[in-house]
Formats: sequence, C-alpha cells, structure tokens
Amino acid sequence: MNDNAEEKLDALFAAARADQCDTSRVEFGFETRLAARLREEGGGSVAAWAWKLCPFFAALALAAAWWGQVNLRAEATTEIISEATQGNAEQVLLAYMTGERR
Amino acid sequence: MNALALSWPALPFADDALKTPGMADYAAPSDADLVAATLGGDEEAFAELVRRHKRRVFGTAARFARDDHQVDDIAQEVFVRAFRHLGKFRGEAPFEHWLARITVSACYDFLRKERRIREQVSLDAHDFDARDTNIDAALAAGRARELVEFAMRKLSAEERLIVTLAELEERSMREIAALTGWSEANVKVRAFRARQNLKKILEVSHER
Repeated sequence: MNDNAEEKLDALFAAARADQCDTSRVEFGFETRLAARLREEGGGSVAAWAWKLCPFFAALALAAAWWGQVNLRAEATTEIISEATQGNAEQVLLAYMTGERR
Repeated sequence: MNALALSWPALPFADDALKTPGMADYAAPSDADLVAATLGGDEEAFAELVRRHKRRVFGTAARFARDDHQVDDIAQEVFVRAFRHLGKFRGEAPFEHWLARITVSACYDFLRKERRIREQVSLDAHDFDARDTNIDAALAAGRARELVEFAMRKLSAEERLIVTLAELEERSMREIAALTGWSEANVKVRAFRARQNLKKILEVSHER
C-alpha cells in the first residue's frame, strides 16, 4: 500500500471534495441570529464590565472601612488624652478601665 | 444611518442598479466602503458584508463541522470576531482574505475544542460504523466524505486543519501558511505527516 495508497487517498479526497454540503438551510435567517447575538453581547458589555470591577469595588469598600476604623480609634485616643490633661485624669482612667469609655 | 447608507437606500442587488436608467452612478459600495460605514455605526452596512461573504464562510465551516448547529456556531463566531476587530482591517488586502483568516482561526479553535470533548467522551460507537469501510467500498457507496471524516477525527487539530485546507479546499501551502500564520515549511511538514497518518489510519481500519 504505497503508490496505490497515495492514489486511493487522492481519489478519496476528490470524491469528498465533490460531495459539497448544501448550507443554504443553515444560512436561512443567519443575519437575524447574528444581529441578535451582537446586540446581546453589546448590551451585556456594561454588565460584564461591572462584574469585572467587582473586586476593585470590594477592595475599595474594605479600605474605606479600615480607614474609618483607624480614624475612630485615633479620635477616641485624642479625646482621652485631652480630657486627662484637663485635670480629671483619675476619672478618665476609671471610665476607661471599667469599659464606660472605649 | 450615515451618509453612505442614505445614498444607497434601495440597492439590495447590484444588477438592479444596472437595469435602472439614471442609477448607473450608484455602483454597489465596495467592501472597504461597507467596513467604513459599519465603523461609523451603520448596522445595515455590516449586514450587507455578512450577506456578501456568508456563503464562503459557511462552505469552509461545513468542511470542519458535522451538524448544522456546529456550522452555524462557527459562522456566527467568525462574523462576531470580524465585527469586534473591524477597526483592525487596514484594507491592504481584500476583505475576503482578512475574513478567511478569521474563518480559519475560528475553525481551528472549533477543532481543538471538539478534540478536547472527544478525549473526555468516548465515541467508539460512532466509529464502529465506519470501521469496516475501506476506500474502494466508500467510493463505490458514495460515502467518501464519511470515511474522510472518520479518518480525520483521529488526527490532531493542526493536521486536520491543514489536510482540510489542502485537500478539501484545494489551497496551496503558501495560502495555508498565510491563513494560519504558520511558516510554509512547517505547513509542508505537517501536511506530509498528516497524509502519512491518514494512510496508516485507513490501512488499520481496512485490515480490521
């Protein structure tokens, strides 16, 4: 099966080439289907971008929460120090130890 | 609708323009004009491009896919990619050539995806019908296409792409290299190996 095989293979390809598929049935209404898909993908792009930006917004929210927490603590510490320096240090310390202040 | 579309409202067929006196000036717009109009937001211009070129895209897709749904999927993928990347079309080569490269790329992706699925799902039952078919019998029975498909399913996606383009689409090695982006030498080597593999596959199936 050498030269003969080559010839047979060529004959097989020639016959397969001649057997052209009729695609007219699939082509029917193709433009409509394509337009619908393009419209769908175009409309979905905003949602897709929003979905892609989710991690960014989540990170932003976490950063904002952390920043707020740090600011609150700093404000509380400043308040305690300012009250303590005004002369009522003992009362402030007591309130802080008993948990009345945070 | 932009100016181009308005100047071309009722010319669905080029022949009509030739038949109507006084309308000869309105030649059908070229592919490049339609591309420019599409980029300007004219959807109808793209629809016209699709109408012009879909037959060839479907013809190529039908060489790679078995059923109508797969052919339709490939054709849709081709035109969606073309629409998305239309801005990259420079007009240095005809639109048809640019679209042919996209078509080949979409067909190659289809073959790779199909092969992955086939590796996961056994298709022995489907192969069994064609196993006893030899070339002579297939030719006599008008089942050449079936036998070619059976044998090609055993090739790699690259080999199948090259064999289809070379043997069924009758494209030259240079054309295939341009369409795939592979070097001509690479295409020749792969085409040779693919033919050898096909012969082996058909010998084995014939001996069984």
